[in-house]
Amino acid sequence: MATKIRRLTLSTGWLLVAFAAGLPLFGVILGLWPSVPIAWADITRFFAYKGLMSSVTSTLFLSLSAPLLALYVAFMVYSQYRFNPRWQALEKRLAPLLSLPHLAVALGLVYLFSPGGMVYSAFAGIIGHAAPDWLGLPRKSLLTMILAISIKEVPFFLLIFSALGRQLAIKDWLLQGRALGYSESASWWLLVFPIMLKQSRLALLAAMAYTLSVLDISLLIGPNIPELYAVALYNWQTGFTSADQANAFLGNLLLLIMLATLITGIYLHEWLVVMRLRTNAVMAKPLNIARLSRVFTAWLGFFSLLTVAILVTFLLWSLGWNSQSTLSSINWSPALWQDEWFFMQGPLLNSLHIAFFSSILGVAITLLALELQQQSQRYLPDYIWLLAILLPQLSMVHGWRIAHSDLSASYTTSWIILTHIPFTFAYSYLVLRGPFQSLNRHYELVAASFGYTYWQRWWQIRFMLLRPALLSALAIAFSVSIAQYIPTLIIGAGRITTITTEAVAIASGNEQSITAVYMLVQAILPFIAFLIASVLAQRIRGSFDATHH
Amino acid sequence: MLRIINCHISTDHWRIELPDIFLQSGELLVLTGPSGMGKSTFLHWVLGDTIKHANISGEIHLNDVSLNALSIEKRCIGLLMQDVHLFPHLNVLDNICFALPSSAKDKGGQKLNKNQRKEAAMRLLNKIDMGYVGEHFAEQLSGGERSRVGLIRALANQPKALLMDEPFAALDPQTCAQVSQWAFEQLHTQGVPAIMVSHDINNIPPEAQHLDLAKYYRRIAS
Repeated sequence: MATKIRRLTLSTGWLLVAFAAGLPLFGVILGLWPSVPIAWADITRFFAYKGLMSSVTSTLFLSLSAPLLALYVAFMVYSQYRFNPRWQALEKRLAPLLSLPHLAVALGLVYLFSPGGMVYSAFAGIIGHAAPDWLGLPRKSLLTMILAISIKEVPFFLLIFSALGRQLAIKDWLLQGRALGYSESASWWLLVFPIMLKQSRLALLAAMAYTLSVLDISLLIGPNIPELYAVALYNWQTGFTSADQANAFLGNLLLLIMLATLITGIYLHEWLVVMRLRTNAVMAKPLNIARLSRVFTAWLGFFSLLTVAILVTFLLWSLGWNSQSTLSSINWSPALWQDEWFFMQGPLLNSLHIAFFSSILGVAITLLALELQQQSQRYLPDYIWLLAILLPQLSMVHGWRIAHSDLSASYTTSWIILTHIPFTFAYSYLVLRGPFQSLNRHYELVAASFGYTYWQRWWQIRFMLLRPALLSALAIAFSVSIAQYIPTLIIGAGRITTITTEAVAIASGNEQSITAVYMLVQAILPFIAFLIASVLAQRIRGSFDATHH
Repeated sequence: MLRIINCHISTDHWRIELPDIFLQSGELLVLTGPSGMGKSTFLHWVLGDTIKHANISGEIHLNDVSLNALSIEKRCIGLLMQDVHLFPHLNVLDNICFALPSSAKDKGGQKLNKNQRKEAAMRLLNKIDMGYVGEHFAEQLSGGERSRVGLIRALANQPKALLMDEPFAALDPQTCAQVSQWAFEQLHTQGVPAIMVSHDINNIPPEAQHLDLAKYYRRIAS
């Protein structure tokens, strides 16, 4: 009987984790099923869509270049910080810096550096007359998108490198390289980068898949004519005519072909770079760019300053600043906050409600997935668990929307929570896998020798030791949920509004001050989550060492 | 010639005052002593690495050039550790090419091209009858093969001295005896002075100098 119950529990557990991990693939597959019959005329009309080629090429260029740029910058930052006392400071600040939503970084850059932005205005004030527009960052352009995404993705790659670095003998390779006559920076590029590049494939794919189908920032700071592909696809997906539905189906196919192109791009880039570095290694020729790394010694200061500048800019705008203001002429007032508070309460409560439940469930399912693999002594490849961040959101959410409509489901926060779980699950998995797998088994062996049962050991030893990592995972999952735009918008069909959907809706208009209020709230929520997690983790560290990975 | 004089190693609890070390080309010095007595720390100091857990002072001269102010990469001192750290993304030939000086020239005085460098690396491997591992990667080699390739790579760099930190400790006793004997012959033939940290005093060649750190170890009264 006990065996049967155990088997049933295990099967239910596997079913649950398969559901959370497989939901994205289910969405993509369902989205490949045409909702209207497709005729040849639909195909010709689709390819005749004005600006399609330009939209596809600029999206592919963006999706390739921004993550690659971020990867290179992150590697140079990593190489400058890793064996330096500053590394601990960077590791401490990495998670909160990572939590700043993409949208906040994107709009923050525009508020700071576009013509009329704070920095631009300050510069004009210093030189005494208006600076030419070309000196500022365009409000909507491919360049602005590339900058925003590449700046924002650097902390993500640093997190990945930090985890990879723990498994590699980097210090010894560098020492060996230097003993063979190479400088430290040359050794980083020739000996460490090829390996890190290969092991960062999934992270690179995640960043590229995100960029490929990111909708909120494409709408707000992406180029207009033609728009980025995600915007065009979203318009088709939400269109009512059969022509739109046919375009949505074909567009979805094209999006997956673009994803395949990006995967090919990742391998091609890797092959070219590894070949080039291998030739340099064989020829004992250090890279010319090796010295460039030193510039990134100041990255932590720069990124922290940028984060603070973005938050302060939003705050100033929300209190009365505008692009025509000078500091002396502003009428500082919290009136906007008082006015908006009435409208903001609903979306804010929705955001908190959805993020709270989806993060807790995401982390719980992650623990279950890790535990089930541990028990079966068989760890499945990471890409199976990370499908939510490796597949384009627009494709999977399109499939979910079809299923949601077919089930005649209601528009409630429960459905939104369900659609957020694959993302909170994937990010929690990314954070928890390392600490879970590298927990020192001897603690549990000692407990077993004292007569504790498996579950007593699990709860009193493993869970307790994992608490700091669990808190980080919860904070990251919470911020991931807060920043979700596509699933909230499409499954909620506008009836369930959150701080993020409201922020994008307002930012699409011309109300920069109100946008600033919402952006500030959207950016601050993850910070609060990290603050709480860090305070709690510090209390826990009194009894356990959290750095067991 | 490698000369190390006035060398002191100290921590808050102990101090070692080393006798002056003089090594002519091809000579070997074996450092022994209990764990935690600073043997590896001493090697890393000679190499030019940053030392964190002890204070070391002294003068290092290699062929009458003072090394103290030079960084690791300028010292021309090779390093062979217990794990020889063959770079995992490069095969054996490329590992050796990586170590060949970039200025290596052919008989006509021309800088070697890529193929010539690979041929030069292959010649080094063939000299020890190991040409068959040229295209292998580190994980495809046995422990003994890895140690041999590690030494060949270190020597391909044409170091003026070599430091070895228990380079054969991971090998089984029989392989250890064979590989260490072969390694000492190589160093002697090529005239490279070497310092080796070892716990195994049975495999020391009779002509090697021997320095037991325990003899010079002094506790500091607190």
